[in-house]
Parts: sequence; structure tokens; C-alpha cells
Amino acid sequence: MTRKLGPYAMLLPAFAILGVALGYPLVRQLVMSFQEFGRAQQFGQPAPWVGLDNYRALFTDSTMWGVVTRSLAFCAVNVVVTMLIGTALAVLLKRVNRTARLTLQISMLLTWAMPVIAAMTSWQWLFDTRYGVINWVLTKLGFESFHHHNWLTETWSFYFVATVIVVWMSVPFVMFTVYAALTQVSDDTLEAGQLDGATAWQRFRHIVYPTIRPVLTITMLLQIVWDLRVFAQIYYLQGVGGTPSKTHLLGTYIYTLGIGQNDYAMASALAMFVLVLTLVLTSYYVRSLLKESDA
Amino acid sequence: MKLRKLAAAAAATALGLGTLAACGDDSGGGSSEGGSDTLTLWLAGKEDTPTDATDWLKKEFESQHDGKTLKIERIDWGELLTRLNTSLPSDKTPDVVEVGNTQAASFTSIGAFTDLTDKADELGAMGPQSFVDAGTWDDKLFAVPYYWGSRYVFYSKSAFKDAGLEVPKTLADFNAAAQQLKTDGGGDYSGFWLPGQDWRNGISWVFANGGDIAVQDGDKWVGKLSSAESIKGLTEWQQLAEKATTAPKDGKDEEPWTSFNNGEAAMFMAPSWARWSVAEDKADDLGAFALPGAESGAAPVFAGGSNLGISAKSKNQDLAFDLLKLIYSDDYQQLLAKNGLGPANDEFTSLMGDDEFAQAAITAASSSKLTPTSPEWSAVETASVMEEFFGALANGKDVAATAKATDAKLEEMLNK
Repeated sequence: MTRKLGPYAMLLPAFAILGVALGYPLVRQLVMSFQEFGRAQQFGQPAPWVGLDNYRALFTDSTMWGVVTRSLAFCAVNVVVTMLIGTALAVLLKRVNRTARLTLQISMLLTWAMPVIAAMTSWQWLFDTRYGVINWVLTKLGFESFHHHNWLTETWSFYFVATVIVVWMSVPFVMFTVYAALTQVSDDTLEAGQLDGATAWQRFRHIVYPTIRPVLTITMLLQIVWDLRVFAQIYYLQGVGGTPSKTHLLGTYIYTLGIGQNDYAMASALAMFVLVLTLVLTSYYVRSLLKESDA
Repeated sequence: MKLRKLAAAAAATALGLGTLAACGDDSGGGSSEGGSDTLTLWLAGKEDTPTDATDWLKKEFESQHDGKTLKIERIDWGELLTRLNTSLPSDKTPDVVEVGNTQAASFTSIGAFTDLTDKADELGAMGPQSFVDAGTWDDKLFAVPYYWGSRYVFYSKSAFKDAGLEVPKTLADFNAAAQQLKTDGGGDYSGFWLPGQDWRNGISWVFANGGDIAVQDGDKWVGKLSSAESIKGLTEWQQLAEKATTAPKDGKDEEPWTSFNNGEAAMFMAPSWARWSVAEDKADDLGAFALPGAESGAAPVFAGGSNLGISAKSKNQDLAFDLLKLIYSDDYQQLLAKNGLGPANDEFTSLMGDDEFAQAAITAASSSKLTPTSPEWSAVETASVMEEFFGALANGKDVAATAKATDAKLEEMLNK
């Protein structure tokens, strides 16, 4: 009896803090999504119970489905590109000499550590219509059409810029994590494979990949969660240019509904939907992770 | 052995619970102490109220109220609404806040501010009238005028001379001049810097032709962007966007002086305080005139400016009103006027100066208009409806169809 109590007592403060910090907002959000909660309620009026009305309004709104589709597409593209580049860089990291490795690691670390808004300001200047470096370089290279080219007006171009930025910010994490996993790959097996005549690609596919698969799964899981609810980069870019109503993704749309238009109930309903969506998308990977750990 | 484990577990639990309890106590103690000795004033914009004025205010307030401090925080315009929405209903509410004149209705209509109707006389002369109206809800005055600014056209005298142009007297003359300046300048030169999503300046063309954004018909708001007059103004504006400027089609109204400073634009339109952002070496070449009306006189332009309100939840109601009295004092009103900000007390308007800039400001302000005084207007601004509307026009979309769609959107949002 006493032996079991100790560990649980130690866990108590952590659970309490988690319960307050995570549990309370979640419960409050769930309750709010079934109420009518606007500016009047924020300033003290009581909040009437409206049941599923918010959800019904949300699911019959075509704007919302546009946002969901775009968010899923954006998430898919970003996750795939980030994982490919990150894994490729990790493999590169393993092969180069010490100086090159150190340089790459330091520059990736600086990328990862840079505050989002500082990075966004620099990227904004790079892609600026009149004075941006990118337009200047492309014009000098002979692509005259890029003189004062506006990168944010067209929606797909807006997402292209956003993808470049989000991938740039996400790659370091993938690279470092996969690199750590790569150090665990047995060199003996790799040598044996080489002696048997396996090509580099075959070696990667049959020896390296199975070993690092759990790490790849976890990293992909995290990337899916992060890229689905991306907010800061999109919000910042919307403030620079483009048409906000056409470029909203889930993160910025929830913010616009809630804090922007003071319809906190709709924002809560959408947030609950995003939570469920995230759980559904990641269920496959979570299940495979649990299976691995059990085995 | 068992006793030691039991003791360790008990100690851990006690420590954990104790820390949590202590955390709870700290936050409770902090808020009750911070309430009465510091008065918090929120001003909007990093530079809009000049430091001379805030320094004077702080000094006077603290010398008149022994032991109290005045804390002045400057909030970026972009964050102002969200921060007000979250702070005003809370215990940590600021005491006196500045809000944009068009944003005041959102707060006066839900009781976020204290009713000042009975005490308004103690403040003295108060104007302009449209600002007083903007701060009134249900016949009660909740937000008093702070300062007004007007927007007018800044131009390069040398560019005009080279093109052989005079200061335009009608809007049609202005449109023609802008296009001519672009043609003469060639390349990347803009006759008039006109960013595509800059609706606060663009709306002047609608107003000048007798149109409007939305008007209240009884209890409902009706969108007026698709009225014949508005469409005439919008079509003129679309022409300018196409033929008189090289500004980005999704550009906002931030820092319009940049291309002027770089010698890439002959004119730009901005509130009066933009004058101080023009480069030193261009200052001699800089002139100003109020945007001319369709027939004569000045076009009605968007009235810039702010109101002040006392938070209803503030625990320092009397101190806050003392601060308002200081702001309405002759000294402070003079400081505002000398720095180019229109004072609420019109006795000091002449102190704004009598050079062409002050003349332009006063002329433009005489026929200024506000956006619809609906509490839902701030939601319209946050959703960038007007920016997107003008952006679509700048990209060449059909004026009538886009105006009709935007009217429908406005009616949906304003009549919530």
C-alpha cells in the first residue's frame, strides 16, 4: 500500500497543473461551443444554451469547408516536403566531414531558435513587391516578369510563400531528430549489405529505414499536428497582403471568428472540430506507435 | 524502510500542495494591491500622441495627486481592439483608454465604459460634434472626443512645376493630374500613390460623389456601396488604380510616404501627422492641399481621430475623471494643437498653425465623415471587408457586381 502511494504522490502536482492548464480550457471550450457567446457575454451578459446550433451553422457554411480543405492540403504538402528535406539533410549530415557537419548543425540551430516574428519580418522583406531581394535577383537573372511581382495576391502564390517559410522553420527539428535516430543504425549491417552488393538506395530502404521508422513516425505525427493548426505565419502574411477571406486556414479562421469578430461560441465549436480532426488524422500513427512500444 | 518511504511520500505531497497554494495566493494578492495607486492610461499607436504631451500629463497628474503614479501604455492600432476586448471586462482593466472614433460604438453599446453624461460639463468645450455622437449610445455619453486629424494630399511641388500643373480645384482635375504625372514620370513612377487595399483614402471618392458605405434605415443597416453615386466614385477610383499608380494591388495604407521619399511618387494621401515622416531632403519640396470636391471646396474625407473612455470596471473612477479633466485643460489642448492634432476644444484650433499644412487640415476636417456608427463595425474592420472590396476593384473586377456583393456582406455583418 505505502509502496504504491509514493509515486502517485509525486505525480500529483504535475497532474494538478496539467488539469488546470489543459483541462479547464478544454472543458470551458466544450461548454462554450454549445452556448451563444458574443461580445455582450464577454462583458457580463449571461450565455444562453443553444445546443447544436453553432455546429449546424458551422457545417452548413461553405467558407468553413473551403478553409478545412485548404488546411488539409496545406498540411499534406508541408508535412511531405518537410519530412523529405529533413530526412535528406539528416542523411547528408551523417556523411559529410566534421567542419561541414558543424556548419550545417549551427545554421539549422539558429534557424530553429529564431523567434517567429523576427523571421517573418525578414521573409516579408525578401518577398516584398517593390524592394524585395527575391524579385531583384530573379529580374537580374533575366526573368523580367518578376519586376515588382506581387507574391501574395494570388491565393496559390500566397500558399507557396507560406509553404517555403513553414518548411524552412520546420526542417531543423526533423533533421536533428532523424540524425539522432540515424546514429543508432548498426554500421556492421550496412557494411555487410554493401559487401553483398546492395546499392545505396537499397541499403537505405531495407536497413536504415526500418531502424529509424519509429522516429520518422513520431516526427511525422508532430508535423501533422503543427502544420494543421499553423497560425503565426499565415496571420502575419495576411497582414502584409493578399485577400484574407480567401487565404484563411483553420488557425487564422478560428482567431478571426473568436477574437476578431467576438463570436467566441463559433470559434469554440470550430476548435472542437479541429481537435477531433487532428485525433482522426493521427490515430493511425498513434496506434502504430503503441503497437511498437508494446512489442 | 517503510517509514522512510511513507515520510518521503508525505513530504512530497505536502510540498506539492503547498506550492500550488502559494501560487494561488500570489496572484490574488497582486491584483488587489495594484488597483489604487497606479492609474493606467492606454494610448493607441506608437507615436500618435507626441511625447511632449504624455510627459506633461504624467508630470501634472503626479504633482496634483501625491503618492499616485500615472502609467501610460502605448498599444499598436492593430492590437488595440483585441486587447480592449480581453482587458476591459477583466480585473486588470486599464482605467482610461483611447479608442478610434469608429470603434467607440462597439464599446459604448455594451456598457464597457462609464456613463459621463452628468459630468461632461466639467470638461468644458467638446467637439467636433460627430465625435461626440460617435461616443454617445442611447442618449448617454460614454466616450469623449480626444483629438481629430484629417487626411489630405501631400504633393511634390517640383513634380507639379515640371508637369505644368496647378493645385487641382475639382476632383476631376485631380484625377487628370494624377494620370498625367504618371505618364510624364514613366517607368515605376506613380502620379498618386494608391495602394489597392487602402480603403480609408479610397472611400473619399465615394463620399465626394455623394455616396456612402451604409446608412441606418429605422432599425436596419442598408449597404450603400452599390448606389449610383457610390458606383460613380468607385469607377473613378478604379481608373486611378489602373492609370495613375504603380502601388501594389493589395497594398495597405501603411507608410504611404516611403515611395515619395524615394522619389517614386508625386502625391500621396495621409493623415496630418504623416508630414513628419517625409524625408528631410524632401521637406522643402513638400506641399499640401485638401482633396478637392466634385464641384468645388473640399471632398468629404474619412475623419480620423480618437475618443477616450473610462473603463466601467476600473476601481479608480474619480482619479480617471481627474485625468480626463487634465486632458481637457487648456495646456494639454494647446500641446495637442501645436503638434498638429486637432483639439477637442475648438478655441485652440488656430494654434495648429496657418501654413498650407494647417490650412489643408482644417479645410479637410470641415467636411469629414465617419464610418457607420454600428457596434458591429469593428468586426467589419477586423474581417478586412473594405480592404478586400477595394483590392478586388484595384484588380479590375466589375464595380457594380463587387459593390453589390460587398453590400450584402455588410448588411449581414451590421445587422447581426
